[in-house]
Amino acid sequence: MYNKKLVDNLTTGQSKLLSNKRRESFNRFKDLTQGDFNRINLINYQFPEYSPYNKEYLKEKKWQAELLIKKMTDNLNNEEEIINYLEQFKNKRVKKGNQGLDQKYLALAEAFYNTGLFIKVPKNVELKLPVEIFYELDQENPVLIDNNLIVAEENSKLTIVIDYRMQDQNLEAFHNGLTRVIVENNAVLNIVKVQRFNDQSDNFDSNISLVSNQGELNWIPIELGARNSVTNNENTLMDDGSRASISSVYFADGDRKLDLGFKMNHQGRHSSSEIESKGVLKDRAQKVFRGDLYFQKGAGQSKGSEKEEVLLLDKTVDSDSIPALFSEEDNIEGEHAVSAGQIDEQLLFYLMSRGMDKAEAKQLMVEAAFNPIFDKIPLNDLKGSVINDVKTRIRS
Amino acid sequence: MSEKTEVKDIDRSLHEEKNEEKHRYKAAKGLTPEVIKEISREKNEPEWMREFRLKALEIYKKKDIPTWGADISDLDMDNIITYVRPDADLQSDWDQVPEEIKNTFDALGIPEAEKESLAGVGAQYDSEVVYHNLKEEMVEQGVIYMDMENAVKEHEDLVKEHFMKLITPNDHKFSALHGAVWSGGSFVYVPAGVDVDIPLQSYFRQNAPGSGQFEHTLIILEEGANAHFIEGCSAPKYSVNNLHAGAVELYVNKGAKLRYSTIENWSRNMFNLNTKRALVEEDGVIEWVSGSFGSKVSMLYPMSILKGARARAEFTGVTFAAEGQYLDTGAQVIHAAPNTTSTVNARSIAKDGGHAYYRGLLKATENAHGAKASVSCESLMLDNESKSDTLPIMKLQTDDIDIGHEAKVGRISEEAIFYLMSRGISEEEAKAMIVRGFVEPIASELPLEYAVELNNLINLELEGTIG
Repeated sequence: MYNKKLVDNLTTGQSKLLSNKRRESFNRFKDLTQGDFNRINLINYQFPEYSPYNKEYLKEKKWQAELLIKKMTDNLNNEEEIINYLEQFKNKRVKKGNQGLDQKYLALAEAFYNTGLFIKVPKNVELKLPVEIFYELDQENPVLIDNNLIVAEENSKLTIVIDYRMQDQNLEAFHNGLTRVIVENNAVLNIVKVQRFNDQSDNFDSNISLVSNQGELNWIPIELGARNSVTNNENTLMDDGSRASISSVYFADGDRKLDLGFKMNHQGRHSSSEIESKGVLKDRAQKVFRGDLYFQKGAGQSKGSEKEEVLLLDKTVDSDSIPALFSEEDNIEGEHAVSAGQIDEQLLFYLMSRGMDKAEAKQLMVEAAFNPIFDKIPLNDLKGSVINDVKTRIRS
Repeated sequence: MSEKTEVKDIDRSLHEEKNEEKHRYKAAKGLTPEVIKEISREKNEPEWMREFRLKALEIYKKKDIPTWGADISDLDMDNIITYVRPDADLQSDWDQVPEEIKNTFDALGIPEAEKESLAGVGAQYDSEVVYHNLKEEMVEQGVIYMDMENAVKEHEDLVKEHFMKLITPNDHKFSALHGAVWSGGSFVYVPAGVDVDIPLQSYFRQNAPGSGQFEHTLIILEEGANAHFIEGCSAPKYSVNNLHAGAVELYVNKGAKLRYSTIENWSRNMFNLNTKRALVEEDGVIEWVSGSFGSKVSMLYPMSILKGARARAEFTGVTFAAEGQYLDTGAQVIHAAPNTTSTVNARSIAKDGGHAYYRGLLKATENAHGAKASVSCESLMLDNESKSDTLPIMKLQTDDIDIGHEAKVGRISEEAIFYLMSRGISEEEAKAMIVRGFVEPIASELPLEYAVELNNLINLELEGTIG
């Protein structure tokens, strides 16, 4: 299982500093108590047996020559650079935004990752086309533990799309990932994450970012699959004018359970953040939305907002919303809003009077709600297939 | 030139007069079954109440102190004398109330309230009610307003049926403690169809150093009845940390309407860990008006359980946290029946390092189809030494509902101040006006004398911080 022997195996052939890092993480891992996710009744979760991941997950493109992309599991010659980046997350000011979805899951990803990329877009480089990463799970590769580090250097611009998916509808797969992000001064980074696992698989994903002076980070997390999906997205706005946004979409049906955490940790002055979440719950689906806005002392003139909209399609759904606002500064603007309800009957009636059946009308209304966020997916193929997936799920 | 003052806090001398202690009976420090039996014997209680107390004590010993919310490690539970009986028997005639107790009440304005022919006054001195009165015509209509102690004996069946059924000793450590050592409080019973048109008032205060106050308020409104109960608190300040763990149980039957107003202004060494709950039947209405100003630590989340169809809950609250205060307050609403509605309007102000925390719960169960709820929280921060947090939790278990929530935090808008100043108003007055405007929704829900008190309180709080 997840023991020292496995760490020894994984560090064979890996560069020295990163191997040390794994061992360090393992030492933390073995002493940590595993957290429960009570609100979705996910208690005493058993991590499935480790297995390696051998599929290619990076789509090769010529323009990648402009980037530095390396596999974290390889014997790297730039490991010092990586370690230096990782050290930045130990900064005291980041503490509130460096929790992961749970410390044990975070340490698991850091000690036992079987995949992961280091991506750096160098200073002043601006890439028009997105970097595409496909983590696909199948019979031979049912366990994905990815540890990614993405760095956007000063004045750079990049979009990254990470698609977590599977074809096999009967596979019981497991994903526990970690993505760390550093956005330097004036850089703009967009990250689209799509999760489309089957209803037998479990998904755990921690995302932790640091955004520097005038940097901008935009997350587009799209959650469409998995039996249990627990994700956490934490951003620390370190300096003057740091900006971060999260545009989240989720759709949960059947007996699926979602626990989504979003956090903005305002440290810098004039920093701004936005959390927007739109979701639909159907059948007996359960969802927890946690949105935390922290305004730390010194974050004067900052702005933060969070907005959640959830559409409840059945009597049997269970929807929890926990928007929180924590402020230590008076000169800030923070707000949150939540609205929850069922589909607008009048609108539904109108659409049906125009000859649509109920399912079609509902589907149209869900699409209308999701489209502004889907439009942020930079790949047409992916966008089309995501929209298709939502359609299929609504109709089933 | 604007006047600068050094006043940091309200002049509390008026409310903090303390009399020399004089007691007939004082329970030994610490809690044992013997202490509980002694309390019960002193009170001449029925057997079932003694058994209830002992059971609650057992539960109390097993429960842990909650780990969330406020830090209450300063609270020395063994050092809290739970029961202190003042040296006066229950009086029906004001003239017979001992002079020194009267003096303290005079300072609190109780006789004035009486003179103004308010419906009834129940003042709790230490742990027992020493003065009680209710207008004649109300008594004729069958309205009961008396101290809890006597209600246990005189209206045993009514009390037995309702006492600690909404808030049980199993709920948390402090409700268990309350069940074991409760003392004093008010009992109100309004028969079907009776409209008590003048507010019923009670003033609680604590006097003995280190004495906890565990008053129990039980209000039962029968079908179609209507009443307004006002609870106000004030306590002298002592060096020993004081604990207030009262319980308020409100039963609002079919079509009845109850308004429960509280202005809480405990001295700033008090741990105010109070529990309040209302059960509302079909078409019933509960309205909470709540102002939290005092105490060192407060954890107070009045709960409305909308059990009957079309029941309604309204919560209007202001929390004002100043230096050294941590006030953790909020409203809880459970929609457990169809077409129930609720409105929560909570406002908080934090200044001089005070910490205001809104913690609320909104729940809609499977049967709550057609439920409508709106929650609005606004926080005003007067400086960047203070903290303001908002945590409204929503749990929805059905689809046919309409839920809206909004929260905002920020400081006084500079444009608004600038505008008022351009109209010839001083900066200090402009800020005070804006703060008063901010609490207006609550002030307007209170009877005049309380609204005036609230405004004075805010003016005093703001003096010396602005200028």
